[in-house]
Amino acid sequence: MIPYARGVTDERTDRVEPTAGPIDPLEPWPETVQWRPVSPDLIWVELVRLAATIAVFLVGLGIGWALTGHRLFGYAMAALLALALWRVGVIVRAVRAWGYAEREDDLLVRHGLLVRRLSIVPYARMQFVDVTAGPLERAFQLATVQLHTAAAASDARVPGLRPADASRLRDRLTALGEHRTEGL
Amino acid sequence: MNDPGQWSDGAAAHHSPGPAPESAPWAVTGPDAPPPTEPRKRLHPLSPVLHGAKSLAVIIAALSWQTLSRVGLGWFVAIVVVFLIGALVLSVVAWFNTGYHVVGRELRIHEGLLWRRTRAIPLERLQAVEVVRPLLAQLTGLAELRLEVVGGGKTEAPLAYLTVSDAAVLRERLLALAGRRPPQAAAAAGDPTAPAAPAPGRLLHGVANRDLVISQLLTPQALLLPFGLAFVVAQFVYEATWSFIAVASTLTAMAGVLLQPARRVLVDWNFRLACDDTGLRVRQGLVETRSQTIPLNRVQGVRATWPLLWRPRRWLRLRLEVAGYGMPDPQENPADRLLPVGDLPTAELVLAEVLPGVRLAALPLTAPPRRARWLHPLAQPTLGAALAEQVFAVRHGLLTRHVVALPYARIQSVRVVQGPLQRRLGLASVHADAAGGLTAVAGDRDVTEARALAVELTARSRAARATT
Repeated sequence: MIPYARGVTDERTDRVEPTAGPIDPLEPWPETVQWRPVSPDLIWVELVRLAATIAVFLVGLGIGWALTGHRLFGYAMAALLALALWRVGVIVRAVRAWGYAEREDDLLVRHGLLVRRLSIVPYARMQFVDVTAGPLERAFQLATVQLHTAAAASDARVPGLRPADASRLRDRLTALGEHRTEGL
Repeated sequence: MNDPGQWSDGAAAHHSPGPAPESAPWAVTGPDAPPPTEPRKRLHPLSPVLHGAKSLAVIIAALSWQTLSRVGLGWFVAIVVVFLIGALVLSVVAWFNTGYHVVGRELRIHEGLLWRRTRAIPLERLQAVEVVRPLLAQLTGLAELRLEVVGGGKTEAPLAYLTVSDAAVLRERLLALAGRRPPQAAAAAGDPTAPAAPAPGRLLHGVANRDLVISQLLTPQALLLPFGLAFVVAQFVYEATWSFIAVASTLTAMAGVLLQPARRVLVDWNFRLACDDTGLRVRQGLVETRSQTIPLNRVQGVRATWPLLWRPRRWLRLRLEVAGYGMPDPQENPADRLLPVGDLPTAELVLAEVLPGVRLAALPLTAPPRRARWLHPLAQPTLGAALAEQVFAVRHGLLTRHVVALPYARIQSVRVVQGPLQRRLGLASVHADAAGGLTAVAGDRDVTEARALAVELTARSRAARATT
């Protein structure tokens, strides 16, 4: 074990000693960090996207069914609808799982249902900030903020922000990142 | 920022479907928007023409000779013209919606009609601003302004095209705002691969050519060579159906496999590592002697590798991860090879120059908990992570062992990832990313430890940043 963690985990039994509540590795600073959710309207953006994709496939299968009259196309359409229903549930939960928090020196972003991810990106490492918004996002008054660092693996993207929040976050990021460093 | 009004409209906080009011941050030109501190500028009106001309070659290449022979020249020209007009219209729309301006101490570039993007680049982060004039731009008297930020290999923000004078003025202005040194000095600093003077500083280490050859013979490719040759000979002798062409093609394929160790020997021949106050100097090569200088402040991390076949001789290889503006493509750059082959004392000696105070043998690596065996039945004891004094070090690999050492000051971001199986087992992985694609992964640590690692890495990298 790494020294500072000694005493929390027993070496022989490998059992985690009960502490206050279950330990979430994605909550490094549970007392001080205030997580902010993304806008619930992102659910609608994702649902419209899903509906469009499903509709394209349904039309294709429907045409196939009409032309051949084969029953398999009907089954495929039913399966597709079931998949769509399952995806709806996943989307609702996935959007609720997105969250970001601004600490004094870094931005925290967490997301993911099956594979959960937390990114901690220091403002001082920022190279540039992108604010993007596609047509669908703009229809729902949303924007995405992405923070880029010199490392390609850094994953600091916050979707589903209100334009005001997006510009506030962008300005805050660039203001805090303005140190005389190279960002390396 | 000193940019009131246009970018932050607090009233837009409620949801209203329908066309977005122009107060959004991605709004390009709002008729009712208050003027920003500096009006947004467009690129030169000829830009879409140049972009369209560039797409001409792409269109012709995409249509190919086959189309030309099928439809005849007249139709071919007609198709090209239709596509070209389409490309031109798109370029004009893109030009109309592209704008840039300086807000405070950052440059903002707006792009896109449907998918809008606003890129904010703090000018402190600019490594260099280059005025580039490709052929087409030279013919029309225009220039492209390239803003280089560190880390990425590609130019992230080109402004194409501006008039030459505009480009020069904007460049001076951006550099002045960024508080950079005069451009000549910056350009010299950003060119670390200039051919070094033949007189190197203190010689640190030279790799014996005998060791180099042996090490490259101890690779899977070289060991498989006799079997391959025997196979070819046997086929040739016993099977009359094998033609000369079949043998030749087999040999060519084998040469391709063999090429890598042979090239390594050629490139790393007479490997000499020296150091002076500017950085490390590497001289190597049999056919073509290369000498390169690696500035030590550009070193992002070190990767040590113990291949399985080298283990009887206790040899290892050291590689550097170097990043920064002006560095050549890492794939083609042999300068990242700090030590092609060597034993542990040699490696420690070399490493002491690059990362002072770091010793490979003394890293306090600890394995993840035993229940990580469910995910790595054999490799669990070989996994390791350590918070050393100056570096975050991780070890992985059952057969070929890797150790990655990442100085805290070089950590760009810290990530915690937990997959479904890891959640069930109470494990999580901690990634520390450095520029140039180097990532140190502490895999499958106990959740308590993973959380502590993330906290500690964040704190240590902040502290290390503050002191450098």
